[in-house]
Amino acid sequence: MKLKQLLVAVLLGSQIALPVCGADDATIAALKQQIDDLAQKVRVLERKRENDQDAATTVAKAQPKISLGASGFNFSSADSNFIAQLHGVVQFDSRSFFGDNGANGNDGFLLRRARPIFSGTLFHDFDYNFTPDFGGSTVQISDAWVNYRYQPALQLQAGKFKSPVGLEHLVSDRDLSFNERSLATDLVPNRDLGLALKGELYNGAASYTLGVFNGASDYNGTTTNQSFQDDKAFAGRIFFQPWKNSDLSGLRGLGFGVGGSYQANHPATNAATGLTPGFTTDGQQKFFTYASGVNASGAAWRVSPQAYYYYGPLGLLAEYVISDQQVKKAATSVDLQNTAWEVSGSWVLTGEDAAYTGVTPLHPFSPRNHQWGAWQVVARYAALDVDNKAFVGGVFADPTKSGSGAQAWSLGLNWYLNKNLRANLSYSHTTFDGYKGAAAGIAQQPEQVLFSRLQLAF
Amino acid sequence: MKTLLNILLVSSLAFAAGAKEIKLLNVSYDPTRELYAEYNAAFAKYWQANNKDGDTVTISQSHGGSGKQAQAVVNGLEADVVTLALAYDIDAISQQARLLPADWQKRLPNNSTPYTSTIVFLVRAGNPKGITNWNDVVKKDVKVVVANPKTSGGARWAYLAAWAYALEANHHDEAKAKEFITQLYKNVPVLDSGARGSTVTFAQREIGDVLLAWENEAHLALKEFGADKFEIVTPSISILAEPPVAVVDKNAKRHGTTEVAKAYLDYLSSDEGQEIAGKNFYRPRSEKAAAKYAGNFAQLKLVTIDGEFGGWAKAQKTHFADGGVFDQIFQP
Repeated sequence: MKLKQLLVAVLLGSQIALPVCGADDATIAALKQQIDDLAQKVRVLERKRENDQDAATTVAKAQPKISLGASGFNFSSADSNFIAQLHGVVQFDSRSFFGDNGANGNDGFLLRRARPIFSGTLFHDFDYNFTPDFGGSTVQISDAWVNYRYQPALQLQAGKFKSPVGLEHLVSDRDLSFNERSLATDLVPNRDLGLALKGELYNGAASYTLGVFNGASDYNGTTTNQSFQDDKAFAGRIFFQPWKNSDLSGLRGLGFGVGGSYQANHPATNAATGLTPGFTTDGQQKFFTYASGVNASGAAWRVSPQAYYYYGPLGLLAEYVISDQQVKKAATSVDLQNTAWEVSGSWVLTGEDAAYTGVTPLHPFSPRNHQWGAWQVVARYAALDVDNKAFVGGVFADPTKSGSGAQAWSLGLNWYLNKNLRANLSYSHTTFDGYKGAAAGIAQQPEQVLFSRLQLAF
Repeated sequence: MKTLLNILLVSSLAFAAGAKEIKLLNVSYDPTRELYAEYNAAFAKYWQANNKDGDTVTISQSHGGSGKQAQAVVNGLEADVVTLALAYDIDAISQQARLLPADWQKRLPNNSTPYTSTIVFLVRAGNPKGITNWNDVVKKDVKVVVANPKTSGGARWAYLAAWAYALEANHHDEAKAKEFITQLYKNVPVLDSGARGSTVTFAQREIGDVLLAWENEAHLALKEFGADKFEIVTPSISILAEPPVAVVDKNAKRHGTTEVAKAYLDYLSSDEGQEIAGKNFYRPRSEKAAAKYAGNFAQLKLVTIDGEFGGWAKAQKTHFADGGVFDQIFQP
């Protein structure tokens, strides 16, 4: 623009400088040529500036992108083929047991999970995740996997990750309705080491996972690199959300499917029983353990029909699990079929939508702006029934030490301050069947627990 | 477990059935926007009518300097097909990213070049500087507009056409040719990164006296801006520009678009494809279309890249690689 002004000034100056009586044609032609030359120079400079700006924009597009926000730390190459992310989840809990008749509950505070999550993408198609957990008494590798995305419908995941059976188990730890998963999850496998083929079809209207794993016993808190059997476990799940992409808003949030696992032979070994160390209550107390000397022996399978429904503030989730396990003690063996189920519901009081992937507050907590985050009430009923054959003669389970069943109802209130901070308060009441032991036993009286949680997740 | 597998299989088959909506990305060079806008619409119609599943195809375009576009594909731009200004740029994709085989040019007729073009001059109405041949564009008072041969395929063709003239005019004296080309680029006030940018510089920003242009781009400028504003001048000698096309095998395979990508390029040689090329001022390969549009194209001596320069690899190394002749003679 300055150059244009200069040009105009030169033009005017030239005009003024001309004698009023007029110049000869040659002078006028020379001046005109001079003006043309200057105009050309201005245009060239302007064009060069345009090109420089274009080049700068192109260079800027080629720069790596860094972002820090509610979704954690993201570092991405310009073409998004390489991505490194740092996320994390920290859960600080309290548990208070009431009316436990002198039994030693686990009253107190605990760091339930403390997980930095390193994840990202390499060469566009390879996703990775490495998640250690510092929350327990020992440091564990929670997840460590690589996933190759050939197409959304065809992906191959390898490493340690959640076994694809239980619906509630597959809910992200940060999005759980209650502090602890229900009794139904006691019967599904936890994280396991293996390979899985998986994918989404029809823009997520259907999904599948089919994998081969070392084989994990019914849900328990720890899994290791060790595998004590040659026969591997097959686990899979197929899940449908037929109306996910439709205009039928009342059905868009409906999903249903079935998960299952099968392991042909689970031989008894000296190194491990192949069985769960116990079924736990909401308060994480063991109300059932197998008797000493009992081992898994023979085939084991599970099946779990499951469904959820989300519509506006309403969320419902239900699943049923059968876990069938051949067990053996000395020369005696039996096929045990344990079952469990749960139904849970939630309602967001502040207008947000409920979802399988959690609640995002419309108005993050900010008292100065009279915003109070999102509030949600949750309720759950769950039951687990141990096969009575386990207790016959006290061979496989001792009724003076274990209950043969448990039923739990829970109520809770969740406060989502913002996308990253959440506080929970819930109460859980569990009753037991079949316990014939001492008064101080876990299953002698109902378990009544008040939970609280402060969660930071990003 | 068997039941679960059956459910999985049946569901997968059920979802696999039915017409698909296929997406193709054609990464092309700068002045082909109009050609492929028309061609893509024609091919989409043809494909929907002629594939047995009733699939539809949507083609996206990306345009820029040919060299820059090739580098973008090397760096991960997921082109299903490339339609670039010169074979060397597709060779670069083959050699640097191994996305298609080295012999890609043998897969389609005419060295995978379904149409050709050449380099001509576009001058302002009345041709005020009296430009009739290459020796006029090196005169000191002539401002020449052309793109940067480091990034633009068209600019590389233009450079080589000028070089061919200089060799012919100077009894194949390379030193004289270098002097000639040095003087030519001294007359260039702005180097755009692509041919379309140069057209903008010349036609819209009103810079320069002559644009060294693709023949099709020169005709398009007349059509777009008015035949009363510019004139096309055909030099005595120019170069046979052969813009090739190729399926980017690995990308197409990953996207599941190999079949449609091949059909897309094959269709360029069909009667309709050749008709569209001729209509957009590209020289068609088919005799029928060439005869129909012969009036659009001047007859002139055309050297070839293989005959005059020993092929693209040699020409690239000598003239446009880092430290080559262009780096020696051009000071930004």
